[in-house]
Amino acid sequence: MSAPFVLSDTVNLAAAVVIGVFFGFFLERGGMGNPHKLTGVFYRTDFAVPKIMFTAILVAATGLFLLSDLKVLDMSRVWIIPTFFWPQLVGGALFGLGYLVSGYCPGTAVAGLASGRLDALVTMAGIGSGTLLFSTLYPALAGFYNTSDMGTATLPELLHVNHWAMLALVYVFAGIMFYAMERHERRGHHPTVKKALHAVS
Amino acid sequence: MNKDRLWSPYLAGVGLGLTLLASFIIAGQGLGASRAFTVVAGKAMNAVAPAYTATLSYLSRYLERSPFSDWTFLEVTGVLVGALIGVLMSRGFKVRFDRGSTMSVGMRVMTAFGGGIILGFASRLARGCTSGVALTGGAQFALSGWVFVIAMFTSGFLFAAMFRRLWS
Repeated sequence: MSAPFVLSDTVNLAAAVVIGVFFGFFLERGGMGNPHKLTGVFYRTDFAVPKIMFTAILVAATGLFLLSDLKVLDMSRVWIIPTFFWPQLVGGALFGLGYLVSGYCPGTAVAGLASGRLDALVTMAGIGSGTLLFSTLYPALAGFYNTSDMGTATLPELLHVNHWAMLALVYVFAGIMFYAMERHERRGHHPTVKKALHAVS
Repeated sequence: MNKDRLWSPYLAGVGLGLTLLASFIIAGQGLGASRAFTVVAGKAMNAVAPAYTATLSYLSRYLERSPFSDWTFLEVTGVLVGALIGVLMSRGFKVRFDRGSTMSVGMRVMTAFGGGIILGFASRLARGCTSGVALTGGAQFALSGWVFVIAMFTSGFLFAAMFRRLWS
């Protein structure tokens, strides 16, 4: 028998709750309910977001490719996130603005609320309203929304490289990025640098 | 604020990555978040203005069933519980209205709500958010995930340079 498992609806929905509990727990443990920590990356004071994000991507990608190559996991039955290039580029850029201004993203706002942050609840109300705004404007946006459909395009396919070579490349990229972030954070906390920065400002 | 309360981001990242992998194996899909907001907001609007809601073709796919039989809504309910467990275990729970040190409460209501509207709109346009497109798509090496991540960080950096006072 190969994964993903064929589950009854009830079991699958119960699994959703359990998966969510772990998701929320690790988000909170990483400080992802705190808007100061979440926006720190944009001010180069705290790089927890990219550290957590790229570590998670690398761990999940390694497991995914390993299990798929070992025929334990049937990738043809895993829902691959489709690409609509331009709407996702514009949507991603808009999302970055909303994330900076609110201090949250949809999942982390829920983690923020769990830690007692009522501003996160206001953001959650905003997110709900924003999705209704999109639904209302959809007739005018449908054309753009459905443009540049690239289906289940993946980087290894587009670049014509083996997925393990791609993974190795991302490991190297993440390693260099993590090293630079650690260095930057250490230097930022160095008292003489802080004093120098204070003198400049 | 006690920073040591938290785990190393790399350890939290490993936990998150294993959760995402488990979701692929068990459910055949990755994580999500923004969908739950559309389901709840859509249901609420349907209760208040059913005739108008019926005219919104985009929403119909989110109104087909009850939130309690929607995978992502239940997963997000779990996120609330899991985050609460984490915050109670480390004694970090505190009711507050978090904001930048120079920001008034009124201004924070505007940034929290206005920023939220942009997040909601953007995640519908991009067909998902940081969970559904960036993390899930990113781990699948789907182009969607990487386009979203690069656009999001680039835009965040540029706007942060314009709005320096927001979180200082």
